[in-house]
Amino acid sequence: MLNKIKIWHFIVAVTGLIIILRFGYIIDLLTVYYLFFQTLFAGKENINSFITFPFIDNFISLCLIFLFPIAIMGSTSAKKKLSSQLNFSNIFIILLLVSFVFAPIITKQHPDFQKNISVTKLLPPFSSVNYILLNEINKVESVQENKLKDLIDSKIPKSYNDKIIFIDSSSFDATFKYYQSGVLSVIDINKLVTENDKPFIGTKLFVLGTDEFGRDVFTRIVYGCRISLIVGLGAVFVSFFLGIILAFIASQIGGLLRIIFNRITDLFLAFPSIFLVVLILALFGSNILSVIIVLGFSGWMSLYKIASSEMISLKQKEYFLTAEQIGLKKLRLLIREVLPVIIVPVIVNLIFQLSNVILAESALSYLGLGTGSEYSSWGSMIESGQEYITQSWWLIFIPGITLIITLLSINEAGRKFGQKINPTIG
Amino acid sequence: MKKDFYWAILKRIASSILVLFLLVTFIFLLVRLAPGDPSQKYLSPQLSPELANKVYQSFGLDKPVYQQYFSFIANLFTGDFGISYNYRQPVVSVIKDYFLFTLIFSSISLIIQLALGYYLAKTAYRNEGKFLDRILSASSIIVFSVPAFIVGLILIYIFSVQLDLLPTSGIKSDYYDDLNFFERVQDYFIHLILPMITLSVAGIAVFFKYLRDNFTVIANQSFITNLKAGGFSEKEIFRYHILPNAVQPLISIAGIEFGILLGGALITEVIFALPGMGRLTISAIFSRDFPLVIGCAFITGLMMIISNLIADLVKIKFDKRLIKDLIT
Repeated sequence: MLNKIKIWHFIVAVTGLIIILRFGYIIDLLTVYYLFFQTLFAGKENINSFITFPFIDNFISLCLIFLFPIAIMGSTSAKKKLSSQLNFSNIFIILLLVSFVFAPIITKQHPDFQKNISVTKLLPPFSSVNYILLNEINKVESVQENKLKDLIDSKIPKSYNDKIIFIDSSSFDATFKYYQSGVLSVIDINKLVTENDKPFIGTKLFVLGTDEFGRDVFTRIVYGCRISLIVGLGAVFVSFFLGIILAFIASQIGGLLRIIFNRITDLFLAFPSIFLVVLILALFGSNILSVIIVLGFSGWMSLYKIASSEMISLKQKEYFLTAEQIGLKKLRLLIREVLPVIIVPVIVNLIFQLSNVILAESALSYLGLGTGSEYSSWGSMIESGQEYITQSWWLIFIPGITLIITLLSINEAGRKFGQKINPTIG
Repeated sequence: MKKDFYWAILKRIASSILVLFLLVTFIFLLVRLAPGDPSQKYLSPQLSPELANKVYQSFGLDKPVYQQYFSFIANLFTGDFGISYNYRQPVVSVIKDYFLFTLIFSSISLIIQLALGYYLAKTAYRNEGKFLDRILSASSIIVFSVPAFIVGLILIYIFSVQLDLLPTSGIKSDYYDDLNFFERVQDYFIHLILPMITLSVAGIAVFFKYLRDNFTVIANQSFITNLKAGGFSEKEIFRYHILPNAVQPLISIAGIEFGILLGGALITEVIFALPGMGRLTISAIFSRDFPLVIGCAFITGLMMIISNLIADLVKIKFDKRLIKDLIT
């Protein structure tokens, strides 16, 4: 039964499940974007102020969540390509990609959202907290732009929300009394959202608990996957580019340049690259771009070695000589004649490189040098959770286990791919 | 032949020295190009300008970069890396203690990695295809994928937080001075159990995987079948024919691994607050203690080169044919 499920079945099922589970939010988003485009085409000014990163992010996810399953089900070639069997590593890689693309739809709040820390901090997984909602004070205006602004403010999650108050316990008669970790506060009932003349008290579930600032761990894990993948793919792309180009130049010019390049490769290989990476990031400052570039530069050596050894043997092949004789340009020669031949061993190397880079990124974040402070990253989550190791295990173990499974499934995928190409490898 | 061999070794050492020189130059330039003035960190604002200028001069930062570089290289040949900004001591004497710790710690770790890796691989090979073999192979893949900082934190959580058996950081207790010799050894031992496991576990998995795979590959070759047909016992074949062949690629890996370990086990040292080279390097980088950074880099590169050279020599000891590779 299980081995009849193919990859594309799983992808469609997961996206379908997201649509079903988050149907209300998707409808909300649809109304927001409907209104947005209405205002846009009406030609009103200062529409730019609405376009923020979460706004675009939500829009892309919203489009893709419908396009994705349709595109897969609609095209036979996509089905054919994604028709291999499911296994552990496939499942996890798909889940990673899904949470990479659909992060704003999967999660219910902004990754940096925090409110009433005294109530929400360090909650264990599967704990729920009661909350009350303040009602909207100024909903008199009905100008279209303000309506759009209100809608965006209320529907798209932000890092702050004045309307929601988390409480421990409450009682109400004439006024509403609530406790927040032992502190009593009183609020007028008229200010609250009510339901059947009683103040509305909702419960919010924190599936994977909260951290020391009361932020939802699940949301941060999902968004942290973005950092890991962006840094990983970016750095792998940089080292791919660098390794291939350098190897091609070395093989074309040869002679002294080749020897120099080989020496430089040895130089970089002779030194534990983590120190160089830390040195550069500490001296020149670390942000997401510098992390990508530095990690990319620290990983090109193995690629260069593979590519240059392949290119040397390629240089004597007749079809390559012919292509050279015809007078193909160097770039064309590289793309048309060299890349297709060496791409297969290179891809295996790149997959392993990806897991190395993800590991390095989390290690850097753990040392406080990654992209941590700006965006949530698994390494920085572990680093900040380390202080609370005696009381809250989930702050370390949940990001840690996610990281381990990610690395494991990428390594496994690389091994499988390598085996497919070269069956003699164990 | 013998002469060629020594000549090749000499050539190898010369090219290694060149690489080391390039490395130090690269780091020197990198450090000097970085934005920010390192002396600012060590000057208090209350200091009079003349005194501040004096400090600045004592760092040697007032001269142009090329002059700094030449005096640095000239000093390097006498083994003088300058004076650490932070410790106000010669770099060599700062590094000495940290390096001693790293040397002992990583040597023990390497021995543990090799011994356990070998033992487990042998056990798995003896039980080829059985449950034990499969579970060891599977867990080696998993263990290899677990980052060191997660291993360390899991160990701290289990043994220090939950069971309250072992200390979480440092290498000696507060009451270390009151202890006699045996208690001191015991104190060190207790403090270093968790770091040792953290540092060694990934290496054990790597060595296990390599050895285990090599055992199978070599056992399937025809000369082994021939030996079996000749009536040699399994034990003899394993000891004299499979093992020497399987160990060979392992030696160069062990060489690289040892070089990296001697540069300092950065993550392990940070988690457990150990006084090793890795943490020294990192703290030097963060405090912009340039002479110390370059000194640490030099030592790390040197260790890397020496351990690779030793690994190659050991490999030649096992298989004389490899001399040819070295010479050409």
